[in-house]
Formats: sequence, structure tokens, C-alpha cells
Amino acid sequence: MLFFSFFKTLVDHEVTVELKNDISIRGTLKSVDQFLNIKLDDISVVDEVKYPHMSSCKNVFIRGSVVRYIHLPAAAVDTALLEDATRREAAQASARAKQS
Amino acid sequence: MSFFGFDTSLPRDRGHQSTAPGFGQTHDPFAGLSQRNVSANDEVLDFEETYDGLGDQLDETDDAFNDDTFGGEPANQQSVGKDFDFSGQTAQIADTMKEEQMLYAARQPPQRQPSPPKKSTRPARTGYEKYSEPTYIPELQANASLWGMAPRQPSQDVTESYHRKHSEAVPPTSNRKMMSLEEVEAMMRAQNNLKSTTPQPAPQTSQPQPRVEQAQLPIIPPQQGPHPQGQFPNFSGPPQILQRPQQLSEQRFQQGARPPPQGDKQNQGVQHAQVFQRQRQAPMELVAHRSQHTSTPPGPRRTPQPRQILQNPNRLSGHGQPIAPSLSRPSHQAHLTGPMHARGPSYPGAVVTNPQQLLNLSDEDRAAFLAEDARRAKRNHKIHMLSLGNGLMTPQDKNFITRIQLQQLVTATGGVDDQDPEAALTEDFYYQVYSQIRGAARENPNQPANHFAQTYLFQTGGRYGLAGRRHPRGGDNHMQRMEQQVQRAVEAAKAKPKNKQLVIEGSLGKISFSNAKTPKPLLNLKRTDSADVRPSSAGRRPSRHAAVLDRKATLRDIENVYSDLMAMEDHERHLPPPLNENSDPESIQQHMEWRHTIQDLNQKLWRDLKVMEPIVPNSPVPHPFIAILSHPKGKKTVPRVFRHIDEQQRVTILTMIVVHLDTLDVVRNALLHHDEPKLSRMAREEVELFAHSVIPSLFSYINEAPLTIVIGLLGLVLDRTNIQNLVRTKIGLSILTMFVSRAEIFKQSSAPGDLTDSDWEQWLQLYNKLFDIAEPVLPYIFPGSVNDTEDVYVWQYLAAMGVGASPEQQQRLVLGVKDRVMETVNVSKALPPEIAATRLGHVNLFMRAIGLDVELLG
Repeated sequence: MLFFSFFKTLVDHEVTVELKNDISIRGTLKSVDQFLNIKLDDISVVDEVKYPHMSSCKNVFIRGSVVRYIHLPAAAVDTALLEDATRREAAQASARAKQS
Repeated sequence: MSFFGFDTSLPRDRGHQSTAPGFGQTHDPFAGLSQRNVSANDEVLDFEETYDGLGDQLDETDDAFNDDTFGGEPANQQSVGKDFDFSGQTAQIADTMKEEQMLYAARQPPQRQPSPPKKSTRPARTGYEKYSEPTYIPELQANASLWGMAPRQPSQDVTESYHRKHSEAVPPTSNRKMMSLEEVEAMMRAQNNLKSTTPQPAPQTSQPQPRVEQAQLPIIPPQQGPHPQGQFPNFSGPPQILQRPQQLSEQRFQQGARPPPQGDKQNQGVQHAQVFQRQRQAPMELVAHRSQHTSTPPGPRRTPQPRQILQNPNRLSGHGQPIAPSLSRPSHQAHLTGPMHARGPSYPGAVVTNPQQLLNLSDEDRAAFLAEDARRAKRNHKIHMLSLGNGLMTPQDKNFITRIQLQQLVTATGGVDDQDPEAALTEDFYYQVYSQIRGAARENPNQPANHFAQTYLFQTGGRYGLAGRRHPRGGDNHMQRMEQQVQRAVEAAKAKPKNKQLVIEGSLGKISFSNAKTPKPLLNLKRTDSADVRPSSAGRRPSRHAAVLDRKATLRDIENVYSDLMAMEDHERHLPPPLNENSDPESIQQHMEWRHTIQDLNQKLWRDLKVMEPIVPNSPVPHPFIAILSHPKGKKTVPRVFRHIDEQQRVTILTMIVVHLDTLDVVRNALLHHDEPKLSRMAREEVELFAHSVIPSLFSYINEAPLTIVIGLLGLVLDRTNIQNLVRTKIGLSILTMFVSRAEIFKQSSAPGDLTDSDWEQWLQLYNKLFDIAEPVLPYIFPGSVNDTEDVYVWQYLAAMGVGASPEQQQRLVLGVKDRVMETVNVSKALPPEIAATRLGHVNLFMRAIGLDVELLG
């Protein structure tokens, strides 16, 4: 749940979502769910000339499985905290693995 | 002989009626009667003709396991059999009826109402009949059963009285031409029992039965014949049961939840019949209800319906077929005996049962009536639109999906209603802490799981709120039960051991399950738990792997430190409330335990930091603690570590750093060479990180340290390290500045008694030594060229040295850095005023310390 937890903090920040079909969409992250589906608002396609399909779209819902990368606003990421959260997640995972 | 309640009469015996197009039509229980009136010259069907003799072919001997199957009494002709009920199935298709009514209501535009009365255009049934009964609640049953509650059996009395009304209106035919199925069955029974000489002709088929008698049904012996006949003549249950077995368990479950009142006996009989299908029936009830199950009337209209169901089972739960009402209506036009308009109770004025009355009303009343009517039609339409998908899923389906959803929401640590912040923190650490740090985005940063659950509850709550308006008590109950249900589902899901894999016998692979919380692992690697296995194998080639292993070991050390830190930070949050004089022993005990634990954790952290590892002089391998500090994330631990350790441990760490100062990576790698005037980016970053994370911690400690400690530390630096290298690095200079300035501040701020002469003597000795060693390299301590602006720390060091220097030493200082001062002043003349001011300010740090000013140079 780390990624979910992380992306929740980025709500209302501007992110760039790079899809697996090479389209990059920049927009304001409106919501994210546990499948990392993403809702973006005020979107613009980064390479609009090449991908004019979305020119008329204002907002999108992106299925989590089609996302390749998400470019984060560096200022909105607390790296130290993220490291700790990762450690926790790893500790939990290993504890769970030992259980089973 | 219909053993399982099948309709065993052959299609040819049923006779297909073309006016009954199939399931979904507006059913008219009296179509059969009317049919009889019309074709009055049909001859009486004899049982022997209708009986196909299939029953004789049954093997009646192998009854050995019937007890196991059905339970109870030994099977014989008396106790087995006749537990079928063709007439009581109304409840099962109540929703279909309701949908028909909805559909009908929606299809009839309100303009229909004020149109001139024209009896012949009226359908036999308006679909509103049920609404004329104030107690009729059309929708409740399906809803309630979603949550496994005992179903209300709403239409029971209503339909019953309705039918009774109608049966009074339509005089029973005294001269019967055709035997109904119940008559046939009654005859069968009579033959079997050899008691009554004549089969009951069942003339009371359409006569109303007193309620009292129904209530007594269970004790009526089976020979008493078909009692509640003709009440639900159009619906024969068994085919439905075969189609939709889920409903059975549903209803059985509901029955178990709440025994229905006496008045529901009829319907209970239905359920028992269904239970019987599932081969679980208490023998007593079996006997008691046998009489009811013979009561299917012969109505020829009955037969097409089950067949339709069998042909197209999907339509069973769908909402009404569009053609059905219009097709069925014409055939019933003759039976206009019931009330024409069934008005809802919402219209306050006189109930208009006949359009003629409408004309007689006053204008206001008529307007009110019409408005009311339009409103109702609109509402009906809305309801219809909302109910378009009704019945597509059975209550069982819904239950199933609800459970899946709930299970998805159940997390490893807690459920949907887990308000425990601890669990939230475990599951959602980053978000929780981040919003605490950066100011909570939401007031209630609960889990989305919670959020989902709330939404979920709210939605259904709304739906039940509607029902609750009509039945205030029931509404509350719904909510409560629903919450309990959710809770139970969650608990069950928690208790259930999660089986992550399924290996099917004989298959080659494993099927692994996943949910949102624990995604399906794409790779399933068996990891050997002991990471220490490898060093033994690596031991064979130590030379090559030593460095790698060292690095890995160090990184592991760092991670250990981090987990210790997190454990301590977690533990700190559990600090029990502070003690006071009248604390009870329990809280004192808590405090004791808490302190004990924090002590343990501290010891563990201290061990993992490896500060106390023995120092091996001249070892090629750096000290473990220094190795930890050589990694960026190791450097980052220092401020956090300092929060959790005591003074003694802090000074130990400081000592350790000071002793190894010139082996620190930030000193070792930060030495500038002539051929390489600039530091590599990595080295610079390391230095910056050290300066920002480690130095402040050390500085804050030194700032309060007594002079003796400063003396000791400086002595160590002079003894163990290469000062001339040290002063050429930022970190080295910073630490020296720290010591020198602390001593100077101590001298100035301390009370006269604090500073013993011997201490100060000792300090001065060390200071002079440092000065002497550092003086030759003074011109080289500046980084880069004059244009390099990052030289403030050098001026700070010079200032610190200058303050404590003797006049002679000050002169030597000035001589040493004179060139740099002049260059800086010259360069800054060409710079923009602001930058120039900054740079000159830096130089002034030093100049003022020795009583000069750059202004004097200008």
C-alpha cells in the first residue's frame, strides 16, 4: 500500500503520467485508488502534435495498469519519510513472508 | 403422482392457451373461471384419463435411504408424497408482479385519467389493486433478503383478500365441467387412504377460507382435502424452484432468522415445500402441510408460464416483458368487478374511483387531483426508471458480491471499521505522517477503506431509509443488522486463513490469488533466510569480495540502525500518560515497563551503531561506525540517533568521529589537488550532506560541552590526525572552528570561578600547537580560486582563530591570508553590489575578529 499511500499525498499536485503507449499526460492529480488508477484534471498531452487524440479532453481517468511512469513534483516528496515508509513496508512484507 | 412437486401432467393435458403468451403477463386468477363460463360444454375430465400412469413405473421398493434423505418417518404412502404446493408461490414472483405493476403504471400516461369513462377500454386489472391496500409494501422483500433478514411477506394478506374479494364477485361455478389438479390429487389421496368413498369434488375451490382455519392447518390431517385452494392459482412453484435454487436457501435462512407469525402459515407452507425440495424437512411439518400442496387449480392459463420459464430462464428475474400486459388485457375485459382506480393514500381529497366523479368535483379539487395524479405518475415513472435493473441479480448474488467487496476491504491489520490509528499508521504510514508534517489535507485522514465502507453503508442506508419511513422500527433494525452483518463479514474474513495459492492436482502450475492489498506475486522465489551463508563461500576469495562484502555489511548495519530508530520512535508514541503523585500502581508499572523497553532499544541501537567496536590502528578496513558514516543514509541517521541517546553516548560518538577525522570520507575525498581544483560532484554532495546532518548534531552538543571535553577532543585531533590535511577540507575546518569558538565563548561567558587556570593553560597550549601546525598551509585552505564564493567557512575558521590569537599570532594570520583578502576585495569591486557586499561581509568576519575592517583596505 506504499504507493497508494504515497500518491495520496500528491493529490492536487501537478504530475505527468507516462502511459505504456508513450503518451504523456500532464495534469492535476485528483484522486488515486488502491489499484493506482488515476484521475487527472486540467490535462494536457505533453507531445500534443504527435498525439492530438486528447486535445478536447479536460480530465481523464487512467487505469493503473497502463501507467508506465509518473513524474513527481520533487518538492512534494519527503524523501526521508518515504525511505522510512519503504523500510516499514519491507519489514511488514518480510514478517508476512515468514508467517506463511 | 408428483413426487417432487413436478407438474406431471403432460402438455397435451394442460392445453395451450393462445391468449396466455407466457410469463410476465398480467396474471388473472380468474381467467380459468371465465374460460369455464365460456366453454361450458366441456365434459368433465376423469382422473384416469388425465393420469399418465408414470407413477406406476416408479420403483417404490428402494426406499431404504429415504429417511436419510428426507428424515423422519418411514416412507409410506401416507407420509411421503403430496408435499407440494402449486398455489403458494406468489411470494416468489412478487417482485415480478411488482415490476409488472410498475411497468404498467409507467406505461399508462396520466392523461388516461381524465379521459371520459369508457369501461370497455379498461383492462381487467389496473395493476394498482395491490396499492389499494394500505398495508401493501411492494419492494421490501427483495431488499430485506439482501441482508438475510426474515422476509416480510407482504402480499400475503393483500393478495389473499384481493382474491377473496374477486372470488366473491365471480360466483363459483356450481356445475363444473373440468377437474382441477387439486381435485385429481384429492382423488388420489382418497384412493390411497381407502377412507372416503367419493373423491371430493372440491367445490370450494374459489371460496374464501377463514383465516382461523388456515392458522390451524398444521394439525389438519391430510385427508381433509385441499383447503386453501385457488388463492394463488396462477403460479406453480416447482419450475421456479428448479430454475432458481438460490432463492430456497435464502428463504430458508430467513425463516430460521425469524419464525413467521401465524398468519403467514400459507407462505410458510410454500417455504416448506421448497425445503422439501432440498430434502430437508421435518416430518411433522411435512405431514402438516401436505394438504396445502394439492391445491393447484387446473387453470389452463397456469401451464404456459412454467414452460416459458424453462425455455428462457433469464426472463424470470427480468422486468416485465413489454408485450405481456397488452396481450393479456383484452382477454380479461369482461371481468370488471374490482375497483377501477386504486388510489394511493397520498391524495387527501375524496378518492376518485370513477372518472365520472372527476367531473363532479370542484375546480380546485379537480386541479388538486390532477396535480396529484401527475405527480404520482411522475413518481411512478421515476421508480420505474430506477428499477430498470431490478431483479437482474438475485439477493444471493448481491450478498455474494457484497462479501467479496468487504473482503477486499479487509486489510492485513484491520478491517473497514478499524478506527485504530495504529493500524492506519502501519498500513498508510507515508500518508499519515506526511499529512501530519505538512498539515493535514483533510480533517479526517481516514483510510479510503473506511471511506468506501462509509459510502457503502450510506448508500444502502439510504435505500433502507426509504423503507424505514414507512416502518420506522424496521428501518433502524435494517441499519443495525446491516452493520452487524458488515462486522461479521469482516471478522470472518479476518479469521479465515488466507490461502495464497492453489495447487490443483495434476496441474503443472500454481494458481495464486491476489487482492488489492496483497497483489499477486509474479515471481515466487524461495529465499534462504540466512544471509550469512554467503560469506562462507566468499571466504574462499576474500581479496576480491572483501570490499563488496564490506559495503554490504555496512549497508546492512545502517538498515539495522534505521529499524532500531523506527522501533524507538514507535515506542515513543506509546509513552503512557505522565505520572503524578496519585498515579495508581498500574500506570506506574506501565511507566516502568516503558522505560525498560526504551532502555533495551537504546542498548540495541548502541550495539548496532558499532561505535564501541575496538579501534584497529592502521587497519585497511575502516572502523564500522566510520564506515556507516561514509554512506549518505548513514550520515542521515546521526541527527535521529542523537535524539535517542544520552550525553555519554553522544560524546562517545563525537570522540569516535574526531579520532577518525582524517579517515572520514568527507575529509579523505575532499582534499583538493592541484591538478584537480574542483571536487567531484559526488564528493561535494557528501560534504554538503555531512555538513547539514552530522555537523549540526555535533555542534549542538559541543555548544554545551564543558571546556575539559573540548580540550580533550582538540588534543585527540592534534594527536591522531593530519592537521595540515584537515584544514584543507571543509569538514575538518568546520570541526576545528567548532572547538576553537567554543573555547573562546566559554572563556568570555563563563563566571570567573568556572574557568580554572590550569584548564585554560592547557587550552592555550593546544591552541598554539594547532596554530603552529596550520600556519604554513594558511594560503591553501581556501577552496578553488578567488571567484569561488563558497569560502565562508574558511573566514569563520580564521575569525575563530583570530579572536583567541595573541597580537603576534594575529599578524601571522594576516600575513598568511593577506593575498586572499586583497584578491577578494578587488574581485568584489567588479561584482554586483549585493554579491560584493556578501563577499566582503565574509572577509569582514575575519577582519573584525582581529580588529580590522575591509573598509580600511579600500
